[in-house]
Amino acid sequence: MSEIKKIKNLKEFSTSADRFEGANLLCPGCAHSIIVREVLNATNDDLVLSASTGCLEVCTAVYPYTSWDASWIHIGFENGSTAVAGAEAMHKALKSKGRLKQPDRNPKFVSFAGDGASYDIGFQWISGCMERGHNMMHVVLDNEVYANTGGQRSSSTPIGSSTTTAPAGRVSYGEKKNKKDMVSIMASHGIPYSAQVAPNKWKDMVKKIQYGMEVEGPVFINAVSPCTTEWKFDPKDTMHLTDLSTDSLVFPLYEIIDGHELNITYRPKNVVPVEEYLAAQGRFKHLFKDEYKYLIKEWQERVDANWAYLNRREEARV
Amino acid sequence: MAFDKMELKDIEVWDGNFAAAQALRQCQIDVVAAYPITPSTPIVEGYGKFLADGYIEGEFVMVESEHAAMSGCIGASAAGGRVATATSSQGFALMVETLYQASGMRLPIVLNVVNRALAAPLNVNGDHSDMYLGRDSGWIQLDAYCPQDAYDLNFIAFKVCEDHEVRLPCMVHQDGFMTSHTAQGVHTLPDDTAYGFIGDFKPMNDMLDFEHPVTHGVQTEEDWHFEHKARQHHDLMTKVMPKIQAAFDSFEKLSGRKYNIVEKYDMDDADVCVVCLGTSVETAREVATEMREKGIKAGVVGIRVIRPFPFFEIAEALKGVKAIATLDRSSPNGAPGMLFNEIAGALFNTNTKAMLSGYVYGLGGRDLTKAHLVSLYTELQANVDAGKVTTQLQQFIGVRGPKLSFLDQNANNSVDEASLNNMSKAEVVACAKSLNIKVLVKDSKATAIEKILAGSK
Amino acid sequence: MANTGWDEFEIGAMLRTFDGKIDDIAGTLQEDRTYSQNSSFSASVADWRIEKPIFSKDFCIDCQFCWIYCPDISIIARDKKMIGIDMDHCKGCGICVEVCPTNPKSLLMFPEQADEEAELAQWPAKESKEK
Repeated sequence: MSEIKKIKNLKEFSTSADRFEGANLLCPGCAHSIIVREVLNATNDDLVLSASTGCLEVCTAVYPYTSWDASWIHIGFENGSTAVAGAEAMHKALKSKGRLKQPDRNPKFVSFAGDGASYDIGFQWISGCMERGHNMMHVVLDNEVYANTGGQRSSSTPIGSSTTTAPAGRVSYGEKKNKKDMVSIMASHGIPYSAQVAPNKWKDMVKKIQYGMEVEGPVFINAVSPCTTEWKFDPKDTMHLTDLSTDSLVFPLYEIIDGHELNITYRPKNVVPVEEYLAAQGRFKHLFKDEYKYLIKEWQERVDANWAYLNRREEARV
Repeated sequence: MAFDKMELKDIEVWDGNFAAAQALRQCQIDVVAAYPITPSTPIVEGYGKFLADGYIEGEFVMVESEHAAMSGCIGASAAGGRVATATSSQGFALMVETLYQASGMRLPIVLNVVNRALAAPLNVNGDHSDMYLGRDSGWIQLDAYCPQDAYDLNFIAFKVCEDHEVRLPCMVHQDGFMTSHTAQGVHTLPDDTAYGFIGDFKPMNDMLDFEHPVTHGVQTEEDWHFEHKARQHHDLMTKVMPKIQAAFDSFEKLSGRKYNIVEKYDMDDADVCVVCLGTSVETAREVATEMREKGIKAGVVGIRVIRPFPFFEIAEALKGVKAIATLDRSSPNGAPGMLFNEIAGALFNTNTKAMLSGYVYGLGGRDLTKAHLVSLYTELQANVDAGKVTTQLQQFIGVRGPKLSFLDQNANNSVDEASLNNMSKAEVVACAKSLNIKVLVKDSKATAIEKILAGSK
Repeated sequence: MANTGWDEFEIGAMLRTFDGKIDDIAGTLQEDRTYSQNSSFSASVADWRIEKPIFSKDFCIDCQFCWIYCPDISIIARDKKMIGIDMDHCKGCGICVEVCPTNPKSLLMFPEQADEEAELAQWPAKESKEK
């Protein structure tokens, strides 16, 4: 039985030996990397990982280089989650047959995938994994676009965002549909744990990852991953953008336990207006034109309503 | 957790599906990830029942689609253990992407394909369109003609594909309904003997070996992709067939049943022969024997190993044959059939004098009857007698409506009467000369032509 | 790794991170691991940079914000102290500078060709906050 790694504070956390390497092909300032590091460093246990086709996979496993210091598999776009589920099933089988090479180890099974891979093309595969109850964790690196292929809209793209397939133009303000609530959808599968995290609130993330890794059964994690290239901001500002996303409550941090118990895990001391979040990103700059300013107002209303909804659920313990 | 063995009778009455399920049980698979689809469903149902009754120790992951089935198999195989699944038709088509991924990743997985037609229109019956879809996927592919084959070939499949010098996934095909749902007295192997033939799974590059972590499924671009694919092709072209032959040899010693890369029936002195796959092979053998009684030296070539393609073995089997018919159970949709093309390729640079014609039959479960084959062999004999293919190169057998034939070799060598009537005298002379005087005319026109030709000499 | 022929690499679309066996990866520091030539750890992206961070130890409080928020595992922390930057892996994104809380900052970005000694010698002074 493994022990949960003790991480009292950041100094203690900094003694972690990373199992994700640099000199990969990710953009300078990419938040995917920060998220992956926090997830992998949350445990000292062995890992079996996967990535679906996307920025993370493409930038960390192009022959002849791999940036992964743990066993890792990429099959395709839809099926990173199922790859890990298959490995987890094999682990169970070999364990019961006494054929594990290192039987005393307690590996964690984690699949990483973008929002495109998770919300769209891989939705069924993740749903299957969650429904079947595999002892695994699926982490979505949510940058709200198909970033790897140049920024096309996904079902995670929020209203008013300009993407290459739903661009802002003379007669359009970009994306018309709001993003899916995957945390709730996955929680509805009755899984033990479904949560939203952000890399700036590392303690919150690590706590959730550790909980997810220890709990028996499937876990779904949605991690906001501000993308310097597609959200259009300076690479040095990635953490600043993440702060804006959590502190404006556009990306509220919460968890749903056993599908029916919601806890808000971060309440900003000072809530930042959504307008400030939108203003920091090039993909929303057209919203500041006179004819589209109403969308900013609607954005604030939506975020407020969602926050109120989360608070009601927390209060009602559902 | 342990499991119970089964005491099988020497001969059990099993259909192709149950025979495959039993073989999978005996192989002690570690992970089966599967999804139901007609007509392969009973394989996974049989497997599920064995599990529920304690005859199997291992994981049975009931995934949410066939694509997920193969994805789960790939993840499990890369993790490091024995993996198998089964599917057909639409499910096979859905997992095609993952078939290429599995073989490119050099992972041993056994896939039982119960061959069924591909939509549209939707059809649940047996034909080979799904088999043909996966031709180039980089898998080793074996063909079962009956439940006995379906049982035996699963053992061959595991033995070959898990070999560290091979490490390629393997399909075992069987005809949907015609084999899968048709029972036969199957000679069985005892549990220990069957398992002993394939042995324990030996992991290689296994993700669950934490002291040697591996990265599976890298990306290769223009600087590396060709080398990877070339390597895969090289191994399929050079390493696999000897291993299959060795496995066939060992299996013969074990069971007394002999499998061959190319199954020749009465081919030693055959003048005419049929090349086909699946249950048609057995039907053709019966008819070939009957044709012999009528004085036609008929033989049958069944292909046992579809991939790697037995290029020289086929040419060798067809040496000396005068007229060959290829039978394709899949619509080629605008081209000669797959078997026609592949046999033609194998024979092309040889000094064969054989005539080759192709037949498309049995789509969507339409029966191939003995009567059909009698007509077919008779046509082949007519070709031999005439010294040329007397029919069009591609014919459809057994479809209602006007006779469907395509690729008329004689078309270039003839002028039909209508065209002839419209030609001037000079045109007729020129035409006759250039056509080598093979002119289709009727009655009075013939006389006119002869006079013109006589006059032009 | 030089471009080799089709017959010169391991089969499957596969790579090994380490040479030989490695017992406890999470318990082994990077400098003690036996990385293979296929680990990107062995590669360098230094030529991506147009700007580079320079670290001034004088003001550092070892808060480790730079360590955790560096996407490229280029902030080297040992024994809870920030000891330097991995200039082979640093892409020059500038996040470390932005998250550094000290005043003056312990990390600042400079043009790639800047002379480290010179810049350290003329490190900016503490900024006074105007009330």
